[in-house]
Amino acid sequence: MAKSLTERLLDRAHGGVVSLDHEGVVTYWNPSAERMFGIERGQALGRPVAELIIPERFRAAHLAGIRRFLAEGAGPMLDRRVEMAALRVDGTEFPIEMTITALKASGRWTFTAFLQDITWRKNAERERERLVEELREAVRLSERRFDAIVGSLNDPVTIRDRHDRLVYANPAALAHLGLESLKDFRSATPEEIMGSYRGVYGGDGREVSMSELPSVRILHGEPAEPLLIRTIDRHGKERWSLLKAAPLLDESGELEATIMVTEDVTEQQRAERRSIFLARVSEVLASSLDYEQTLRNVAELAVPEIVDWCAVDLLDEDGDRVPVAVAHSDPERLQLAAELRQYEPAEPDPNQGLGLVLRTGEPLVYPEIRDELLVEAAVDDRHLELLRSVGLRSGAVVPMRLGARTLGALTLVNAESGRVLDSSDLELAQQVAARAAVAIENSRLYSERARIAHTLQQSLLSELPEIPGYELASLYVPAVAGTEVGGDFYDAWQLGESWLITIGDVTGKGVEAAALTALVRHTMRATSEFVTSPAELLARLDRTLKKQPGRSLCTALCLRLDEDRTTLSVGGHPLPLQITTKGVAAVGEHGPLLGAFDGARWNETVLTLEPGETLVSYTDGVIDAIGDGERYGLARLSRTLKGCRARSASAVIDVLARALEQFQSGPHADDTAVLALRRLAVEPSQAEAREDSAARRPAITIGT
Amino acid sequence: MVRPSKFEINQRSTGSTLNVSVTGELDLQTVHVLSEHLEESVGREITRLTLDLRELAFMDSSGLRFLIELNDRARQHGWQLRLISPRHEAAALVLRVTGADAALPFQPDSDR
Repeated sequence: MAKSLTERLLDRAHGGVVSLDHEGVVTYWNPSAERMFGIERGQALGRPVAELIIPERFRAAHLAGIRRFLAEGAGPMLDRRVEMAALRVDGTEFPIEMTITALKASGRWTFTAFLQDITWRKNAERERERLVEELREAVRLSERRFDAIVGSLNDPVTIRDRHDRLVYANPAALAHLGLESLKDFRSATPEEIMGSYRGVYGGDGREVSMSELPSVRILHGEPAEPLLIRTIDRHGKERWSLLKAAPLLDESGELEATIMVTEDVTEQQRAERRSIFLARVSEVLASSLDYEQTLRNVAELAVPEIVDWCAVDLLDEDGDRVPVAVAHSDPERLQLAAELRQYEPAEPDPNQGLGLVLRTGEPLVYPEIRDELLVEAAVDDRHLELLRSVGLRSGAVVPMRLGARTLGALTLVNAESGRVLDSSDLELAQQVAARAAVAIENSRLYSERARIAHTLQQSLLSELPEIPGYELASLYVPAVAGTEVGGDFYDAWQLGESWLITIGDVTGKGVEAAALTALVRHTMRATSEFVTSPAELLARLDRTLKKQPGRSLCTALCLRLDEDRTTLSVGGHPLPLQITTKGVAAVGEHGPLLGAFDGARWNETVLTLEPGETLVSYTDGVIDAIGDGERYGLARLSRTLKGCRARSASAVIDVLARALEQFQSGPHADDTAVLALRRLAVEPSQAEAREDSAARRPAITIGT
Repeated sequence: MVRPSKFEINQRSTGSTLNVSVTGELDLQTVHVLSEHLEESVGREITRLTLDLRELAFMDSSGLRFLIELNDRARQHGWQLRLISPRHEAAALVLRVTGADAALPFQPDSDR
């Protein structure tokens, strides 16, 4: 049968084309249909299409559809793209898209079906659906995983997108910020979140602005180092945080958001800052014995790092309160404190506040100072106004205790920072108070000890007696290096018709030296009742010293004045200098140091002190005195004395005291004592007598 | 205050013998330096200590007291102390005045 033009065209169609007669029998089957179904044209023609390509389950519907069309002239399948399953010759099914056109020719209906194998498309669609589903699953999973990881972190994590919107906060962050839900977080602006704090400060105490936050720096394309901040929240709670941020990039590498982790480092920071603070407190307390000054320094150290206000009060011997220090970093606020102090009674109410702490020795803490407390404490309206203007928020009064004794109290107050004092603040304050108490006690003991030593030493420098025919004058300059007292001494006493004069130097310092000096003097005086020879007196003293525990060493010179002669014995002491018309000369003989050596012996020298001559005895503080790069020395002392030949004993002392003062370039490192004994030339005139009596008192000069 | 001279301690040890030489001024201000130095150096292994004071420029009564106490310790603990006399008068004076030059174990200076 010759093919029509239409059939020849359809033979070349890419898609399958099949024509059927009104009974559904195949009348045309193009090559594409052959490939699609695996059925050659010859096998297809003349057979019902239903048997060829329609799966059995659809065949009844197919035949019913043809019958309905023939009866009604219309059908739901015609002239539309319909997707359906088709059957290959091998029995496998595959998806096709089909369009059926009905034509009436020569009174009979014929149908032509255009068929497309849509297996690939179907597969692609299914693949896409599968991918979408997998993707959905993946996103669901990763969200869950993200939430599982970040949500369970104890550290607050927040995400801020590139439009500066807050998009995510984990539960820890919500709790940190005091927010109920993620919705509250998302609806807040970053400014509102930051503004919810009373204060945000850097490690150096400076206020921190939004633009310094690492997350914001990253959004601005700046490098972002971790940032340490201290926050005070609206409840007055202090927190130290380390902020770390990282960029979140999209697939194209563009910055999408920043994620910021807030690590709570409050404990570490507090511990570190407090140990530094305590170390500095200890250093300050140890720096000086002036405890009132050191307490003021401690108060200064505490503000503003530890508290906003710090005050120190001490109890004096009578149990009265002595305000010592009040510190605040702002001088203007201190003015306010001065005004407030005027309202404070000298004796604080023993049943509240400072008075209660001083009485009981127990600390008091006011975590929150409410207005009612101020109203209660206020004396009058002005006082209340002042109290309110300070803006007191939280406070503590901590006793400075030593055993059962309360020496004073530290008062700590937070105002403008709004920070509530907590148990760790109290603990810190107690540590400071304990250290301060020890420092106060040490300093008081030390000054007490120094005072005792000084008094003792002074008591050992007795008023010199009047010796007929002689003028005796003295100089005593205590050492000022430290407040320790050295061991120089002198004494003069009558023994029958004779007089004994001694000068010496007990080695050692302070109370021990003073006690030893007392022993030496009393030994000399007591022994002189039985033994009158200067050499024997020194020997007895030597024995007494050797019986003392430890090394008790002493230099001494002993001079005995009798009517006709002067006897001298020297134990380890510089020889006295005699001022005569011929000049200045050392007299006597060196003898061993007292209390030092076995088998020691002392000799005596008999001197002649002519009328008008002066014998100057001195301790080594004179010749050892340090001037500018050199010692005063014996030669210089001799030269000074040479100019004093015609002078009274007290004038000699004056000249020497002035010369030493001019020479010395620093404080007196050692005690300095000088005795000048002048044999009077004639009966003293009235004028000289007055001068004599003035010189009998020891001239106490404090060196510069 | 300008110190008349610098205080210095040098030491050399051979076996159980420690040689310490001191220059400068041995007085109230410096004596604790020497004292602490020897406290660290003289341990159980040292049985002989030679303290060379030849170059000492000055010594006061506190320096002398230190030497006396050092001698006490040597006797108590059974180690040997040798002292070499200062050449300078300002250092020798206190030893002579107090009789310490004869009573303490000063050795004749072998180098002289």
